[in-house]
Amino acid sequence: MFLNHFAYFAPKTPGEALDLASRLGNKAKILAGGTDLLIMMKEKMIKPEYLIDINDVQEFKGISYEPGKGAVIGAATKISEIEHSDLIREKYFALHKAAGELGSVQVRSMATIGGNSCHASPAAETPPPLVALGAKVVISSVSGDRELPLEEFILGNRVTALAEGELLTKFVLPEPAPGSVSRYAYIGLRDAMEIDAVNMAVNLTLEDDKRTVKDLRLVMGSVSPRPLVSVEVPGILVGREFNNELVEKAAVAASGEAKPISDIRASAEYRREVVAVLARRLLQEAFGAASTKEV
Amino acid sequence: MKQLIELNINGRIYEVPVDPRDLLVDVIRKKVGLTGTKKGCGQGDCGACTVLIDGKPVLSCITLAIACQGKKITTIEGLVAEDGSLHPIQQSFVDHGAVQCGFCTPGMILTTKALLDRNPRPSKEEIKRGIAGNICRCTGYKKIVEAIGAAAETMSAEGVK
Repeated sequence: MFLNHFAYFAPKTPGEALDLASRLGNKAKILAGGTDLLIMMKEKMIKPEYLIDINDVQEFKGISYEPGKGAVIGAATKISEIEHSDLIREKYFALHKAAGELGSVQVRSMATIGGNSCHASPAAETPPPLVALGAKVVISSVSGDRELPLEEFILGNRVTALAEGELLTKFVLPEPAPGSVSRYAYIGLRDAMEIDAVNMAVNLTLEDDKRTVKDLRLVMGSVSPRPLVSVEVPGILVGREFNNELVEKAAVAASGEAKPISDIRASAEYRREVVAVLARRLLQEAFGAASTKEV
Repeated sequence: MKQLIELNINGRIYEVPVDPRDLLVDVIRKKVGLTGTKKGCGQGDCGACTVLIDGKPVLSCITLAIACQGKKITTIEGLVAEDGSLHPIQQSFVDHGAVQCGFCTPGMILTTKALLDRNPRPSKEEIKRGIAGNICRCTGYKKIVEAIGAAAETMSAEGVK
């Protein structure tokens, strides 16, 4: 399989990268991990005239954390770095789990967290946990930076809020609420190197009594063109004492909110069923962890 | 538009003319002449094209050669010792019947090297997870997993890297 002919740039600084993006606009594609880009080019789905390889820009990579403030993850950070980060595992467990499920070990050492969101496949692994954890993205251009909640950045199937000349440069994760717990699960045809039929992330905070739900976010992936933030599940559980009856109600509600399609991976009916199963499982898992967690 | 680039493969510098669109797997196989690295699916799914870049396993069929300058590339040929003796992982694959047609083997062994570098004593589950990106159509994986477990023990015992 041959790629089209293109000109290749490898900027060394953010300024160089943004300048190139500004000058070349939509004639250029960004090369980060390339695990989606090169496949699309091989299949002749896209034929960019220019590739801007951002892997040499150190400022676009890395995980930093400030207690009380939260974490900042460079968009070009490899998924494997996120998977193996102690900080991410301790503070943002759902993201750690999702990163570890993406692709295969080879794909994880190439792919980037920014690419996963920018490619905006509805089945992407990292967006639901990121949204559940309250992530914002920083979008940069030669004119400056702007910030958006991730759920407002991913607009639909392969569609993001990136304007011509803009680059996604950072993810900003808030400090997790004390005692909060996040969890992630997925269903797929295989255990690795597959596209999720349904995935889901939950972020749960309990009151000091360790029974009443203080805050809850449930985000579903692969059952809608973009990450679906549940409105009904928090409505059912927040401010109430966690119990199995409410979990059942929430699972059914989540299932109703999902807008799955039937495709090669699963039927809509199956996906709807699985949403309820995952919601039940994740809520129970999160509650179990949160109620025993030392703040 | 070809440009001359330097690629560090198995510790040796190769000067090769490449077009930006040339894939690493093709440059390794056809320009450098190291055909141990195999082309399977050509779309990053099967793992046959796996090489190590700075110790990390990557899929060379979806990697641009021009993007690999200044990096240390290891192909399967790089695991053989100076005197021609096999790396313990390779020897273990041979000893345990983990090679049938051999097509997945180079990628499988390099993925194994990366796994054992990171986790010298992997459990069976960790081994399976570690090679999940390498498809084998022949063996059913059982002997491969056994070979890797045995290699891990040998390497730990001998302090080999």
